[in-house]
Amino acid sequence: MKFRGKIIDVACLNHFTRVITTISKLTKMCVLRLTPLNLFFVLSGKVANGGVSMWCELSQENFFDEFQMEGVSPEDNEICLEVTPENLSRALKTVQNARAVKLKLTSKHCPCLTIAAELPTLSSASRLVTHDVPVEVIPRRLWHEFKEPGMPDFDVSIYLPPLKTMKNVIDRMKNLSNFLVVEANLSGQMNLKIDTDLVSVSTHFKDLGNPPWGAEGSQQGGPSPSRDPDAMARTRVDIRKLQQFLVGQQVNPSKAMCNIVHERVVHLILLHEDVSLQYFIPAVA
Amino acid sequence: MNCVLEGNAVKAFGKAIHSLSRIGDELCLDPMSKGLALRSVNSAHSAYACFLFSPMFFQKYNLGPEQGSETVQCKLLMKSILPLFRCLATVERCQIQINTPNDRVKIQFFCRHGITKTHDLCFEESEALQAAFASHLCPNVLKAPARVLGEMVMHFPVSQEEITLSITPLRVSLRNYFEGRNDHMKIMYTEMSLHPDEFDYFQIGVESNITFCLKELRGLLSFAESHCLPVSVHFGAAGKPVCFSVEDMILEATVVLSTLIDSESPSQPAETLTVAPRTPTRCADVVPESPGEAATVPAGMELVASSQGSPIEDPALLLLLHHLSEPHYQERANSTPASSICSLLFRAKSPESGEGLPVLACCSDEEEAEEEDVMMMRSPTL
Repeated sequence: MKFRGKIIDVACLNHFTRVITTISKLTKMCVLRLTPLNLFFVLSGKVANGGVSMWCELSQENFFDEFQMEGVSPEDNEICLEVTPENLSRALKTVQNARAVKLKLTSKHCPCLTIAAELPTLSSASRLVTHDVPVEVIPRRLWHEFKEPGMPDFDVSIYLPPLKTMKNVIDRMKNLSNFLVVEANLSGQMNLKIDTDLVSVSTHFKDLGNPPWGAEGSQQGGPSPSRDPDAMARTRVDIRKLQQFLVGQQVNPSKAMCNIVHERVVHLILLHEDVSLQYFIPAVA
Repeated sequence: MNCVLEGNAVKAFGKAIHSLSRIGDELCLDPMSKGLALRSVNSAHSAYACFLFSPMFFQKYNLGPEQGSETVQCKLLMKSILPLFRCLATVERCQIQINTPNDRVKIQFFCRHGITKTHDLCFEESEALQAAFASHLCPNVLKAPARVLGEMVMHFPVSQEEITLSITPLRVSLRNYFEGRNDHMKIMYTEMSLHPDEFDYFQIGVESNITFCLKELRGLLSFAESHCLPVSVHFGAAGKPVCFSVEDMILEATVVLSTLIDSESPSQPAETLTVAPRTPTRCADVVPESPGEAATVPAGMELVASSQGSPIEDPALLLLLHHLSEPHYQERANSTPASSICSLLFRAKSPESGEGLPVLACCSDEEEAEEEDVMMMRSPTL
């Protein structure tokens, strides 16, 4: 198993760091899958993380100037590592002004992802920084847990309102209730509602627009064309999970949408130019 | 004592107190003829800091009549005095008066709009502890703008307790240090190194790796950065204390930290340090003159591997006490192999500020829960 990558472009390094920082805000630990063309950060929905799952896909050539990897075997040309994204984020943040940043899989006191950089200085010599981020190699027999999630059989698909606005609304609602109902319809309307014994609050968004596939349906032929455009699909979720998702977002995505499977799951999709992030929040009773 | 500070000096004073609060829970005010010294020591006696403000720093500086031959050191609780110097935006002038008979310090802030805030703090008279650190005897000396040191430590998280500083003729490097072996596998290791050229002054007498507490140093670094002062670092081999200092015309600040003993390399000869008074080599002359040291400088220019020195063990402590009888750090010419284990010197303040009283406090690193018994010996004054 071998992996070496090099980032030279400052903007790419910056963007890469921001993606990893976002991931670090979503989860403490996740799996990094390396393939010849992509990097994936995966969190599989387990009871431990409240059933939340995440899938983040990056195309390596959009970030790396050099990228070489040799997987576990020629047939399984992939590397699967469990890593703490916060360590990666912290390491990358310190080398933002480097001439070049190298990432490689090494074996130090344990398997590590080593981030090495040369920092320019006023004098002729440069500074060398090395961070050894410990990782755990995931054996092949467990790889099935970290496969790309299929698009769920959603009832409604809608574009999200500005994330900042959503975050402000949810921040305030969080003080009043632990659970939030997310509902939306095919007419571009979305509501965020909380309902407790003492108070109920509801925020309405309209004219959000629905992604085109919403009308055609998902792979399984999702919402049928005969679905009433005003009918709301709703799911009740843990408000903290939704808030955690929004807190981490540092950049405005090109596209942000949400698929709702009635009373099952809220599926959030953020698309940037070269990164896509999917986040699944299961329903609570 | 009665002194008055104006505007910006108050802010600098406040910043000094803030830096000292990173060291210990008590602040010692020590008015002397050469200036007002603020000192703090941590509970384990492994870190000491002193900010000395010369009389020129103050608008007015008067030692009271009782300060003739008697020195009054006022020990205050850090948590009483630190909050006073937090919000200084509107402060125009500050007056500090030490009133010995009542055991009180009066601090008055004259602020904008005619507002005066008066604080009366109780102090305890005490003998100030002053670390006697012979920086001129240190084989290794570095001097760099505070910004450079700040950039070195910024690679380490704020929560990082200890770091190891290594010096060879080719590189100066810093890496994080962890003691416990349990989490060994999960720790993220960071190392950064610089070329000697980045330093305004680089002197290497002996290759060494010293491990000290970073948290205690950050206060001084932030003070130095805010005043754009260069920081000097004096140190020797592992086990010997390291001294960080800044100075300008009107103030001097020093932080002395103990370093972990490198007990994994018993071959590290103590002789190296005794011979320290000889001219330490500059980075260009790698091979030391003195024959006694030839063994320690390896031919290869590799970075000395991290020793991850174990904490002090009791036998070493006894060894330390055994060597106390030899008056080292005072006489230069002696070739008696002085103990290399001793890490911090303390002496009781005497009215004459006597030279080198052989008072020694052993190094006991904060992390080591076992070594909480700090042995301190005070010699009577001359």
